[in-house]
This record gives sequence, C-alpha cells and structure tokens, in this order.
Amino acid sequence: MDTPSQPDSLLSRGSHLSDPSQAYTFHTDLDNLSGGTTETALGASISSIHKISTLNLRHTVDLRAITYGGTVDENLVCPICRCPFVDPVLTDCDHVFCRACIDDALSHGELCPVDRLPLSQATIARAPKMVFNQLDALKAKCPCCGNIFARAILENHLEKYCLEAMVRCPGSLSEQGCTQVVKRRLSTQQCLHYPAQCPDCYETLEQIEMESHRQTLCRDRTKLCDYCEVEILRCEEIEHKAECPDVLQICKWAQYGCQHESKRRDLYLHADDCHFKSIGPMAEMLKVEISSLRDDVRNLTETNQLQERRIKFLESGQRASDRPMDLMDLSLASMPEAASTDSLDSGHDYLLSLLETQQSRLSHLSAELSDFQGKNTMMLFNETLPIKNELAELRSTQQVTCMHVRWLMRFRMQENQRRFGVSPGLASTGGPDGGNGFGSDITLSRRLSDSSRDVITKL
Amino acid sequence: MAFASKRLGKELAKIHGSLPPGITLVTAEGFQEWLLDIQVLDANPIYMNKTFRLKFKFSPSYPIEPPEVTFLNTADRPVPMHPHIYSNGIICLDLLGQQGWSPVQNVESICMSLQSMLTGNTKNERPEGDEQFVASNRRRPRDIDFYYHDNTV
Ligand SMILES: [Zn+2]
Ligand SMILES: [Zn+2]
Ligand SMILES: [Zn+2]
Ligand SMILES: [Zn+2]
Ligand SMILES: [Zn+2]
Ligand SMILES: [Zn+2]
Ligand SMILES: [Zn+2]
Repeated sequence: MDTPSQPDSLLSRGSHLSDPSQAYTFHTDLDNLSGGTTETALGASISSIHKISTLNLRHTVDLRAITYGGTVDENLVCPICRCPFVDPVLTDCDHVFCRACIDDALSHGELCPVDRLPLSQATIARAPKMVFNQLDALKAKCPCCGNIFARAILENHLEKYCLEAMVRCPGSLSEQGCTQVVKRRLSTQQCLHYPAQCPDCYETLEQIEMESHRQTLCRDRTKLCDYCEVEILRCEEIEHKAECPDVLQICKWAQYGCQHESKRRDLYLHADDCHFKSIGPMAEMLKVEISSLRDDVRNLTETNQLQERRIKFLESGQRASDRPMDLMDLSLASMPEAASTDSLDSGHDYLLSLLETQQSRLSHLSAELSDFQGKNTMMLFNETLPIKNELAELRSTQQVTCMHVRWLMRFRMQENQRRFGVSPGLASTGGPDGGNGFGSDITLSRRLSDSSRDVITKL
Repeated sequence: MAFASKRLGKELAKIHGSLPPGITLVTAEGFQEWLLDIQVLDANPIYMNKTFRLKFKFSPSYPIEPPEVTFLNTADRPVPMHPHIYSNGIICLDLLGQQGWSPVQNVESICMSLQSMLTGNTKNERPEGDEQFVASNRRRPRDIDFYYHDNTV
C-alpha cells in the first residue's frame, strides 16, 4: 500500500479533510521555486492586490484523481487508465495514450494495447497540440472548494485563489514564525494556532479548529431552540433566531404605531387584520417622497449658496472696477491687492469652494484609477500565462530545429569537403562543361560555409 | 496500488451506472477482489436458467497486468461445463493470459467475452485431462501456460 510517490524533500499532505483520494498535494518548502524573472515580476504586481500572496504554497494536482464536470468526450479518455489524458502521446498506429500509461504497458510487452500491433518507444510522439488544448479546456472540479475551472488553470487557482486550499499561516510573517498551514479562507486574520476554549463544551483546543469543531465534532454542539424546540447548532443560534418561526416578531407597520406582536409563523394572519395595513403603505410612500423632496431642497440650497458666493465675487469685482483703474488690474493675478475689503473674503470663499470640489473630484478619480489598475494587472496576468506557456513550447521547438539545421550543415560541409577536396582549384582548371556543373555546387558550398562559419569554428 | 484503485474506481462508477444484460455485480469490496454473476441470455440448453459466479482478483499493477479470473463453485453457482473451463473454475482463455491481455480490457469486457464464449459452446464437456489437472495443479491461473488450442469456441 505504501506509495513512494513524493520525493523526501517534499512535504506532501493530501486534503484528507475534504477528499480521501488525495487529489492534490502542496509543497511547503519549495514555494516560489517555479518562477523565472518574469514570474517574479508578475508575482510582485499581484501581491499588491492580494496582500496574502506571500503565504502561497505550490500545489500539484493529480489529474487522475479529480472529478470532471459534465461528460468528458470519450475520445479524450485514455483506454488504459480510463481518465482524460495526462501528457498524451500518439502512436504510429494512431492511438493516443497517457505517456505514463503507455510507458507502463510497453514495459510489459511491445504491443499496442488497442490493436496489438508491434509498438516501441521510438515510434511514440507527443500528441498534437489540439489534443492538449482540448484537455486544457476540460471542466475540472477543484478538489478543495468544489468549483469548476478549466483543467489548465486548476493548479494556479489552488496556488493563488482557492479559499479552501492550504496556504502558510499568516503567523509565519510575524516574529512568532508559525510553521503551520491553514486554509486561505482563514489566512486573512492573524495566526489562529493558539489554545482556546470551546464555548459549548469548555474543552481546550486550537482556535483554528474551533469552527469545524463547533459545527461537527463538539459533543455539546447542539441545543434545542428556546422557541421552536428544533435541534440547532449553538454556533448558529443567532442566524437561526433571525428566521425561527416561533420567535416573537413585531408587525411590519410597528413604526407607524401598530402594537401587534406574534410568532413569526403567525404574522401573516395579522397582516389582513392590521389596522395599519392601508396606512402603512401610504406612510411608506410618503416617507420616500419626503426624503426625495429633502434631497431636492438640499441640492437647491447648495446651488443657492454657490450662486450667492458668485454674486458676491462679481460684486467685489464690480466695486474694484469702479475705482479708476486699468482693465488689466481686473485680472485674477491682481485680485489680492485690488480687493482689500470684506469682498476679499467672499472671493476667497468662492475660490476655496471651487478648489474643494476639484479636490474631491480628483480623489474620486484616483480611487477609480487604482481600481482600474488592479483589474488591469489581473487581466494581464491571466492573459500572459497561456502566452508564456506557448512561448516556452515554441522556444523548445526552435531549439530542436536549430540543432537539426546545425547537424545538416555540418553533414553537408563534410560531404562537400570529401567530394571536392580542393575544389576551387579543380574547377578553374576543369573543362567548360564540368566547370559549369561544379561551379554551381561550389557557390552553394560557399554560401553554406559563410553562414555557418561560427558554427564550424565552435565545433 | 494507487493506479489500480483509481482505474477500478472508475470502472466501478460505470458499473453502478449500467451493466450489459446478464451481468450483475455481487460485491466489490476494496480494489482487490470483486464478485460478479453472469448468465447466458440465449437458449443454449447447456446453460439454461443457470447463473455462474466469477471471482476477479486484481494485482497492484492492474490494468497493465491481467486480473485473475476464475469461476466459483458453490451450492447454487456451479462451474459451467465448457471444454476450456476446468472443474476447479480455472479458465483457459487467451484474453486472461499474460500474452493475450491488453490494458484496454476491463471487468465488463471480460464478462462479455466469457458470456459469448459460453453462448457459442455446444460441447457439454470438460477440457482434456481435467481430473489430472485439477488434482495436480498448485499454481495460480496466471502462471499457467495454456496452449490455446483453438479459437473457434
Ligand atoms: Zn492513461
Ligand atoms: Zn494501436
Ligand atoms: Zn478551489
Ligand atoms: Zn499559525
Ligand atoms: Zn466543544
Ligand atoms: Zn427556533
Ligand atoms: Zn399590525
């Protein structure tokens, strides 16, 4: 039964609370290992959004143990493990298997498991990109929170967003240096790894386990509701009271004077008899009306004040212009010395109010801007992830092609050297017919050697 | 064990959903041993109104390695008469041997193969040398190299 699936350096603990099949593992001492330079740059911008991101752990999902949403296309299911393919390969008899599955099968006999044709490792190639894309798009259920995501982003979801996935305890950042892990849901507070007393059974246990203890484990977790005598959880008593059918409740028109009070379940009986049943809605309507009128009045007062200030300002300008002065002096720059009386105050008031409104508008804009920035970073990250993957793939393909070209060139060079030896001399002394034929080959070999000179010197 | 149990879990889920006619799951406790009942559906007089019980034993390397499949012999579940089935329940079928096995086979497909093997049979007899084989054999079925004489039955 022992499965030596994880190397010793990885501390792996399955989600034994939610799923017995160990659909995922997380690694507490290898976090942030996956990142290159771009990764860390992105990580930094994200941590400004999610303050708790430094607590993230790396998660590995066992794609054969997770549940898939809906029915998976039979063509995407491996005939050996009966799961949607993991790292699929294509045989030259046109069958697709998981790489691990066909490796296993081939170690027992070099036959294709489906059609029993001879098959060897050499004739197996990576499945077409299209198959990978289809697999990436499969709807997979998160082993922690149960929500459905595309299979390709499941690990990222667990690592960075899933509220039920494990992260490092926030206590690891403070000086107490807690080394435990907690669900992300609980990581927004401080470290909860301290002993506390259950208010129901008075047992002492770690605060972090309190919630699940009070909900499922505590022997004194339930009580009978004081009103309806239905068994309820003590920790949910308040929520229950808000909807308990036997709790006394006042009539909904109580604020307009109805004195009636009855159990919640009987309240509907009173609704018809209530003396306030026709006044209530009316009063409600009037209340809305009045509040809207009040708003109107407030707006009007504000505009009025603004107008008054404006008038005062203009009046002061008028007074200033009554004096014998140039028109130039009316400009705002000369305002302070021109208006030295009480009109200065009203002028300043007006400017100040203008400034205030500008300031509030500015703060509003900057809030919107930072909001937008956050959204933008998220979007950018979501979009760059697949591109990055594709880039890595392209890069590897390009390297392979490079190697091929290099090999071909060297091969061609050697062949040419062997064929012609000191070919330039031969060509110049050869006959006219032979000279032409050779000449074209020589120019070709020159061109090749020119473009591949650096390669050759390296070799 | 992990791989085998995952795959068997999938098969079990499918079996609980639906099974072909004439095949019923008896027990599937754990991922080591399952019991299934099979019946021959057409009117073959040799197997009429009879039910046979199959025992599947899975190794940790299932489905890369074949399961060990035998007929059980109980009061109401006899071992079917067939020139390829020994009276101790051991089945001589290439599909179940190391050579004939393929990991794409599964419990359901094995049951169906056995069903059709019985359906097509007309000889109400045991394999040659049955008594001697049953008396002397101490090996496990998968270690026996059967000579798969003819594929017509
Ligand atoms: Zn597979
Ligand atoms: Zn094939
Ligand atoms: Zn989740
Ligand atoms: Zn802690
Ligand atoms: Zn308790
Ligand atoms: Zn109640
Ligand atoms: Zn009332």
